[in-house]
Amino acid sequence: MATTDINLADRSGSLVESHKGYDPRIIFFYFIIAALLLTLAGGLAYQQLSKTGEHADAERQQNQRRILVPGPRGNIYDRNQKLLVGNRPRFSVRLLLDVLRPEIRREQIRIRKNYRAMDDQNVPSPWQLEQIARVSVVQRYLDEVNRVIGREERVDARELQRHFSRELLLPFTLIDDLEPKEYARLLEKLPVNSPANVYSFSTRYYPYGSAASHTLGYVGSTDDLEVEDLPGDDLRTFKMKGTMGRDGIEKRFDSLLQGEAGGSIFRVDPAGNRINPAIQVVLPKQGRDLTLSLDIDLQLAAEKTLGETEMAGTAIAMDVNTGEVLVLASKPDYDLSQFSPRISTATWADANARGALFKRAIQGTYPPGSSFKILMTIAGLRSGVITPEGTAFCPGFFRLGREFDCHDRHAHGELAIEEAIERSCNVFFYEHGYKMGPDVIAAEARRFHLDQPTGIELTDETRRMIIPNPEWKRKTLKQAWVGGDTVLMSIGQGYVSVSPLSMACFMASVARDEVWTQPTLLHQPNRPRQKTESIGLTPAQRAALVNGMERVTTGASGTARILQNGRGGLPPLTGLRIAAKTGTAQAHTVKGTINFAWLIAFAPVENPQIAIAIAIEGDTPGEETGGGRYASPVAHAILRTWLDKKNQPAGPPVKFKTE
Amino acid sequence: MPTKRFDQARPFLTLGLVVAVWLLLPVVLKTFARASFFELTAPVTIAASRIRDLQEFWSLRLHSKSELIEAGRDLARLNSSYEMAVQQNAELRTEIARLENVLRLPSFQEYRYEHARVARRDFSGWWQRIVIRKGRNFGIPVGAPVVFTGGVVGRVSEVHLTTSVVDLISNPGVRLAGVIEGDPLGRPISFQGGVNPTFAPPTGIVEFVPLDIIATPQSPKRLVTSGLGGVFPPGLSLGTITKAELGSDGLFKSGEIKLDERLGSVSEVTVLVPLTPGTD
Repeated sequence: MATTDINLADRSGSLVESHKGYDPRIIFFYFIIAALLLTLAGGLAYQQLSKTGEHADAERQQNQRRILVPGPRGNIYDRNQKLLVGNRPRFSVRLLLDVLRPEIRREQIRIRKNYRAMDDQNVPSPWQLEQIARVSVVQRYLDEVNRVIGREERVDARELQRHFSRELLLPFTLIDDLEPKEYARLLEKLPVNSPANVYSFSTRYYPYGSAASHTLGYVGSTDDLEVEDLPGDDLRTFKMKGTMGRDGIEKRFDSLLQGEAGGSIFRVDPAGNRINPAIQVVLPKQGRDLTLSLDIDLQLAAEKTLGETEMAGTAIAMDVNTGEVLVLASKPDYDLSQFSPRISTATWADANARGALFKRAIQGTYPPGSSFKILMTIAGLRSGVITPEGTAFCPGFFRLGREFDCHDRHAHGELAIEEAIERSCNVFFYEHGYKMGPDVIAAEARRFHLDQPTGIELTDETRRMIIPNPEWKRKTLKQAWVGGDTVLMSIGQGYVSVSPLSMACFMASVARDEVWTQPTLLHQPNRPRQKTESIGLTPAQRAALVNGMERVTTGASGTARILQNGRGGLPPLTGLRIAAKTGTAQAHTVKGTINFAWLIAFAPVENPQIAIAIAIEGDTPGEETGGGRYASPVAHAILRTWLDKKNQPAGPPVKFKTE
Repeated sequence: MPTKRFDQARPFLTLGLVVAVWLLLPVVLKTFARASFFELTAPVTIAASRIRDLQEFWSLRLHSKSELIEAGRDLARLNSSYEMAVQQNAELRTEIARLENVLRLPSFQEYRYEHARVARRDFSGWWQRIVIRKGRNFGIPVGAPVVFTGGVVGRVSEVHLTTSVVDLISNPGVRLAGVIEGDPLGRPISFQGGVNPTFAPPTGIVEFVPLDIIATPQSPKRLVTSGLGGVFPPGLSLGTITKAELGSDGLFKSGEIKLDERLGSVSEVTVLVPLTPGTD
């Protein structure tokens, strides 16, 4: 009983306490609750009334995303409106890296656990673990893509690291050259909300591959996209990569070809998935189209025959009257398709090793060899040293201190100017050049702008042409001019160095009987004929010059008679009178003496319309790389194609864009 | 006195224990609960579906005899036309088999057809799906295409013992590769279900539409499955593109596609079960 009493007593005390009536201490809690409620109400009012704008902005930034896309570049056409460079869509699989953070963190923990489980003492540092985890997670997604399309692509760890550090907001490209079938499979197989998804972008399209690659140039990628009319600078923005001209016409006319970027603002769901349609869209605009003066048919013909020589070289053809460049070919070259959308290190290294990046037409400078004899003839006729009727005797050498050989000391005998040009007699020009002196020759060459860049619309034309004279030699080489210098200069050797393009301009100028032709790569229908200072030859002098040049293609000893007579499967160019001059220049290199084959020409003689300059670099020391043998087939191909096109019945008029 | 205070805290302690137990429940148990949810609710879903069928049956019983006779005649006409179609179909199959034999082509029998009745429709602004009355018990795999007389219905997204969930093509989470009917180049176009309000006509969105494709409400373009994606056979109707406008990238058009309105009331579907599972 005692125990029971005690328990009752305890419980009774407890009951009395729990049923106690109103406790004044509770008032204290009323105040606390009231204060808390007031705080809440105040907070609510503060948040709703004062910070409405901030919350609206935060909500907008959370729910909206901005995507900027570059405008497609303008197309590039040839003079006949054939597409040289266009755009084509390219499909890629890209991975949104920023949403992978939790997955990468989990992977990092898992890798660390694995190291510990294996009791490996060489646990990587946290930084290394993170790198490993990133690659591992991204490779997992790539494996999924590989499984769907049957590829075996691997993640480039270095590229991934670079992307994480610089472009985290942008999707990482897993594969960027999907075939339509692969793209279709991925559309169906990849979950819509997967971080890996299919995208499309514009890339340059080159229907003719490597044709005119040095002229057209290539583009590189850029992140510099701005859209003026699209608000939301504060929104999370994804910028697709745009393009920028890096070389050639693409670079020179980048501002014209460049499209205007567009963009859109989308709502996204809590998982970040886009909700269509877009809230606001600014459509990108394509850049303006460009019509070049090139004729792709002529260009292809020139490149094909140049390629068949298996030597480096260049061929240029231009409209005599307007200066519009019809052909600007340079070999070796590169396939533009491999330069888009980006240039791989291997492609670049290969092009560099082959010398394919060097634009011989505008960057190369060579001694012009015997093709310089046309300028010598003009200089001689104008100075009176050479007359149409005058002759000189060629014993096979010219003595000036030492003996300067004609062709293998071959004696041409008594020669007038026309025959001297036809047979390319060195002694004739040694003698008359020596009589004229270096200053007269240099002045004539400068009159034809052979010492200056032509100013063609390409950004990296060489300035290394040399038209020497005594003053130049004294200033540059700190040496005195000697008679031998004049003799060598007379046959386009010695210090003379010109660019193939300037020789093409020279030929066009001679064809028009003027001193300067401004070359251009832009086609303009009904472009007016260029008009510059006349050369200043009398009709008899001009006839002697032109006859001599024509005899090069028609004479029995003509070095370019292949053009009129045909040879080795090349048909004669019947009905086309051609004036030409070949040349073979030598240059001393560490490997030995290399020959350069030259040919300059214009046609038709009676009404000149096309001018040509061809230069081919010999590649074997000691090998005879003659202009007649190597350069003539290239000229033949150009002129034959030109003639065929000219003889074609006229098609419907070409409609040019008026933009 | 401390003992009394402990007594008073007992409810909180119990609550804490319950929370702790819930938090510490093995992951397997939770996974099992989630996985079994559909299996547990499946009998209810199927029972409700059967009750609806029964309701329909009794409502039909209320029709007058003349109505039933008329319906019977209509059905007989329909059956005779189907009979004719079946015969033509058989002839075409024979012809196809003959041509395949002549050309030594592999036989085009990649699917087994499993017809299923719709047990439940589940439409919202975020998803659009149906539950059909066949599941693993009929060998239905995840990802299998589902079709009906109007074309593609959708794709099986979940498979349970006796039921399967089918994501309709009006679901924003469904994406397919289609082609414009008659496009000689067969260029793939991305189709994706749109954000469809519950009772609105179903629509979808199309992307990567080539620039030369012109589609307007007056001259819509029919979109069919491409067969390139490895899931759907080619040529099944997805809908008609009624609007295609230049997309934000300037390379393609994007637009709207009108889906078959019967998607919202479909009651019988056919699941195309691949005969070679696992081959994508």
